[in-house]
Amino acid sequence: MSAPNSLRCLARPSTSNAVSASLSLSFSGLRIGAAAPFSTTSARDSSIAKKSVNREPAAPYRAGKKLKIGKFKKNKVVERGKAPLPGERKAYRKKIVLTNDNALPVKWVQEMGPNHLQDVNNVGKVVSLPDAVQDQLRISEAFQPSQSWKMFRKPSTLIREETVQMVSKMEKAVGNKKTARLVLAGDKLTGKSLLLLQAQAHAYLNGWIVIHVPDAQELTTACTEYAPIPDTNPVQYMQQNYVLKLLQSIKKANEKVLSKIFTVSSHPELPQNIPVNSPLLALINAAKEAEGAWSVFHALWQELTAQNANRPPILFTLDGLAHIMRISDYRSPAFELIHSHDLSFVRTFVEALQGKTNFPNGGAVIAATSRSNAPRAPSMELAISQRIAEQEKNPEVPKSDPYFKGYDERVESSLKTVEVLKVKGVSRPEARSVMEYWAASGLLRATVDEHQVTEKWVLSGGGVLGEMERAALLTMRI
Amino acid sequence: MPPRLNILSSALRGAISVRPAAAAARPLQSAAAVVLARRGLADSTTTTTASDHDAASASPQEEQNQIAISQLEMVAYGLNPFDRKVEGHKFGLPELPLPSNMHKNYRYDDIVAQVTRLLMKDGKLGQAQRDMAMILNYLRTSPVPKLNPSRPLVFGHPPAQDLPLDPVAYMRVAIDSVAPLVTIKGFKGLAGGGRSLDVPFPLDARKRRRTAVGWILDAVGKKKSKGSGRSMFPHRVAEEIVAVVEGRSTVWDKRAQVHKQGTAARANLNNFQIRDLIQ
Repeated sequence: MSAPNSLRCLARPSTSNAVSASLSLSFSGLRIGAAAPFSTTSARDSSIAKKSVNREPAAPYRAGKKLKIGKFKKNKVVERGKAPLPGERKAYRKKIVLTNDNALPVKWVQEMGPNHLQDVNNVGKVVSLPDAVQDQLRISEAFQPSQSWKMFRKPSTLIREETVQMVSKMEKAVGNKKTARLVLAGDKLTGKSLLLLQAQAHAYLNGWIVIHVPDAQELTTACTEYAPIPDTNPVQYMQQNYVLKLLQSIKKANEKVLSKIFTVSSHPELPQNIPVNSPLLALINAAKEAEGAWSVFHALWQELTAQNANRPPILFTLDGLAHIMRISDYRSPAFELIHSHDLSFVRTFVEALQGKTNFPNGGAVIAATSRSNAPRAPSMELAISQRIAEQEKNPEVPKSDPYFKGYDERVESSLKTVEVLKVKGVSRPEARSVMEYWAASGLLRATVDEHQVTEKWVLSGGGVLGEMERAALLTMRI
Repeated sequence: MPPRLNILSSALRGAISVRPAAAAARPLQSAAAVVLARRGLADSTTTTTASDHDAASASPQEEQNQIAISQLEMVAYGLNPFDRKVEGHKFGLPELPLPSNMHKNYRYDDIVAQVTRLLMKDGKLGQAQRDMAMILNYLRTSPVPKLNPSRPLVFGHPPAQDLPLDPVAYMRVAIDSVAPLVTIKGFKGLAGGGRSLDVPFPLDARKRRRTAVGWILDAVGKKKSKGSGRSMFPHRVAEEIVAVVEGRSTVWDKRAQVHKQGTAARANLNNFQIRDLIQ
């Protein structure tokens, strides 16, 4: 084999010395690889045919019966298809269905009227929600996917003793142009959120303005944007994205009422000029995007609470009270945790609950505790138990544990004067009535007699409605 | 342990006893029990009442007389004092015959119980039961199935519009309709030349259902969830059940294939070795 480089050529062999290489190649007349002489790099020229390599199979298999060991198994190729879009799966999970065409319509169920929920004679009756109210409640997110609306022909609720108590307290306060301040507390699945829904339904039917916070955890678990409000001391924070969403739902749900009431003052801080005596709907419409939403909400709140103005009663409700009765997950610029009450929207609610805000024509502020998703809020729990003891005129009011450091002064003061409505299991006549409704809908396939009612009532821990549903409707024994 | 929950007893707990015989029988406590009750032991469930003390002080002769008198009173009222329903039971006797689902092991419908256990994974029966409840609920809320005449359902099934409100029947119809009648067993070497001889064998009802549920679950495994969360598996199973009833499911093909094989292999039942085996 001839040497790749001319032996006579004394030029230093290198890749850059292309002339000598090409010369030597031309002289020798041989074509030897594209790589430069003395170079260890592999050929890059694609024109040179690569050697075809005949590979033997790597592992010699045994002929005949094949012995398959784990690592030789073929990986299954599973066709997965198109992946769902972001949020699509959650939307399916959170979908709210309010009707079941299979369920039988119950003829004897009346439609809820404006005075139904405050009448003691209606305790134990099942009433259905009018279509308009259904839409309003859907907009304010009062229905929850975990509730069993999807099983019945038409959304209906049981008027229970607590409903009448709550609604008559609301009405009494409005009659005196005052604010009913209530906290709904009770065991898991007793129907606290449903009482909130009933309060809202009553308010919508009576032409109140309703503001509902469906889940307080969205406000304090640092999942929505926040920013400090300038010129506040101590610094407060606004959550404009959340407030914008809320404003839109307030607008949609209360459209009729808001178009009939008018502003009493001009709001120069707003991006849009809203002249005095324009409908509140126009004021809310000023919030087009998240930027500036807080100032619109602030202006709306000032208008709603403007004294001596003609305003309908106002219902402000919140579900999941424990979330706003603790230190939030947000951080200040100094990386210190922010107290929930320093978030200005939360503060608005807390001040209303505390009794610092006066609604011109009265109203109600109702907060429901949650037992399924609630952080521990020792001060709130203590305050609620103290209020209950005071209301029952129990001489032994629970005291704070002197060896426990986790109490929160601000929380305690915010719940000092509220009224606590204890939500318990339903009574047997109420249980019977709701079970008759289930049976009439064709979902409870049993005769509703004393024995059946007692069985379900006992199984549900004394008429806890959610547990009764579990025992009677969501069971394998249908 | 099953919950020992006598509902009737709790219902009757507050009721006033109208049976004089039972009331009269109460003083028949042993003297030792009364003494224990008097000592007020913490674990004693007997409550001491004034009547207990009176009874203890009465002589046995008087007690006997009292019982006899009360029995005579009952005869006077036209009751049998020795009737088992009246005498000797604090909360009365249950009505016989007991319903078949009153036994703790047989409290659910047979098909529900069987399918629940087939759904079970890692021995988590509670989870399987929750899944089953969700399946039945899905069936209750799904629209009336549109039956496919080329896929006839099991004979005597309820009309389609009745199915959703009776989800157990819905599931039973689906499973029984695709359950195969036979299984093919292979007998090695009987066909000659080392080949196995396929022989069809009939299945009993439980095994038929088991096979059908196995096929349904295979089809479910290949399906994709629409959403997320714990209701997804039961929803997919329920969707497949609906698909079976509507004749869209691939399970029907599996059943047809097995039946075809069975028909083809039925001649093998005449094989002398097989005949010996069967007889």
